[in-house]
Amino acid sequence: MLDLVAQSILSGIGVGCIYGLIGIGFCVIYNASGIVNFAQGAFVMMGGMVTYTAFARYGLPLPLAAALAIVLVAFAGVVLERLVVRPLWNRGSTMFVMILATLAAQIVIERLALLAAGDQPRTLPVFTDRPPLRILGLAVNFQFLWIVACSLLVIVLLALFFSSTKTGKAMRACSINRDAAALQGIPVSRMLALAFALSAALGAFAGILITPTQYTAFNVGVPFAISGFIAAIVGGFGRPLGAFTGGILLGVAQALAIVFLGSAFKNVAALSILLLFLFVRPTGLLGPAK
Amino acid sequence: MTAAVEPSRILSVEGLSARYGHVEALHPVDLHVEAGELVAVLGPNGAGKSTLMRALMGLVPTQGSVAFHGHAVPRRNPAKAAAMGLVLVPEGRGIFAPMTVAENLELGAYLLNDKQEFARRHDRVMTLFPRLKERLAQTAGSLSGGEQQMLAVGRALMSDPKLLLLDEPSLGLAPRVIEEILQTLGELNRAGLPIILVEQKAPLVLTLARRAYIMSVGSIAAEIDPRQVKSHDELAHFYLG
Repeated sequence: MLDLVAQSILSGIGVGCIYGLIGIGFCVIYNASGIVNFAQGAFVMMGGMVTYTAFARYGLPLPLAAALAIVLVAFAGVVLERLVVRPLWNRGSTMFVMILATLAAQIVIERLALLAAGDQPRTLPVFTDRPPLRILGLAVNFQFLWIVACSLLVIVLLALFFSSTKTGKAMRACSINRDAAALQGIPVSRMLALAFALSAALGAFAGILITPTQYTAFNVGVPFAISGFIAAIVGGFGRPLGAFTGGILLGVAQALAIVFLGSAFKNVAALSILLLFLFVRPTGLLGPAK
Repeated sequence: MTAAVEPSRILSVEGLSARYGHVEALHPVDLHVEAGELVAVLGPNGAGKSTLMRALMGLVPTQGSVAFHGHAVPRRNPAKAAAMGLVLVPEGRGIFAPMTVAENLELGAYLLNDKQEFARRHDRVMTLFPRLKERLAQTAGSLSGGEQQMLAVGRALMSDPKLLLLDEPSLGLAPRVIEEILQTLGELNRAGLPIILVEQKAPLVLTLARRAYIMSVGSIAAEIDPRQVKSHDELAHFYLG
């Protein structure tokens, strides 16, 4: 029993990393604009689907297919910002309208994926096809290691980007005080487009990492977006590190719920955590960003 | 020595108005700034001084025209206005509180890509405000009010402005600190930097400014030469209309 619990905690951490990456995607856009981008899940779905198409249909090597998918999805993020968000932004629409528009975009992208790729679930091969390692009696498969290592790498790179590059600092400045940032000559709207690109790339990356252990299909976006959204709230909305921690907490809670209560309780656990935090600690683990 | 014959008018504003929603907060105003001038904008609270500054930079929707050195300053694009050399230290300073002093200064020079020039401007700011030097690694939010205002001015100077706009730099500061900051502004102006200085407390700027616009209920009520103002009563007359 103990083994089973430890094993599910391990797999919960793996899925939690994915939720965390998606949650960070929410934070990046929220910090840059105040918008909660509900099309975040679409990026996750597109990451997996585009990689599958490039890999299985067009025979590209997996790393190349993945890189291509990340670039294309980042571009899709910019298109979303230009086509859906920017016109509303320039018209001075309320936040509520822009958030609803991203939800509409999510539905449109999902349906387009259905038309373009069909309703069959797709999967990708694991990145390293070897039997799991045995560590302290636990089976640690290589995809888990890929997920954890890549997630940590992404977080370190993001932290470096925001703390050490001029563009990263400018993005932080925009999130602190948009008018003051513009007064320094920072092109605020270009930073917003960049935030969408970055966030989309993060989503796509998460989608690619998780696909070999699960599957991808036109409709996987929404559940992932909900999990990422909960991760971001649990962490304190707008706090990337908080979102990542929240993601892992959520992944582990779900895994334990499945062991002790049955798989039907997976979403119950997720939403219970959300409610628990909203009631007891609405500012999240790290407190709000603003 | 004769001065080179050149148009000395650097900023000309015609019929500039601004509205928030359906309320016209700034009625059409005309104003101008000559090369090397320090112009004060005076008026009571709510007269539209800050709106005028925000309108000049294009931070709010406006009508009318703003020309700087003969080029139209784009509307609704403050980053572009900043790139032209129009730099505003906004009301409330607008510093990036969670970031360090050094990062704030760095962002002031966002448009600059020359390391040597950056070092030169940085040195100049450190000379003007030695107190910031000891605080470079601190977060801007941990500074005292006076130091934050120095940082805001220092950050603006990092962009090497061609016209510096300051919106009530004295707000919430102790008299001694205000004096220090105004003195620095006077120095900058004597070194050739044109300045528009917005103030509610008129006596503070009367010794610095050669010209002052008096604002009242959203428009410019008068243009005066502060040196001609004999008494506070006379000034009060402009304020009260």
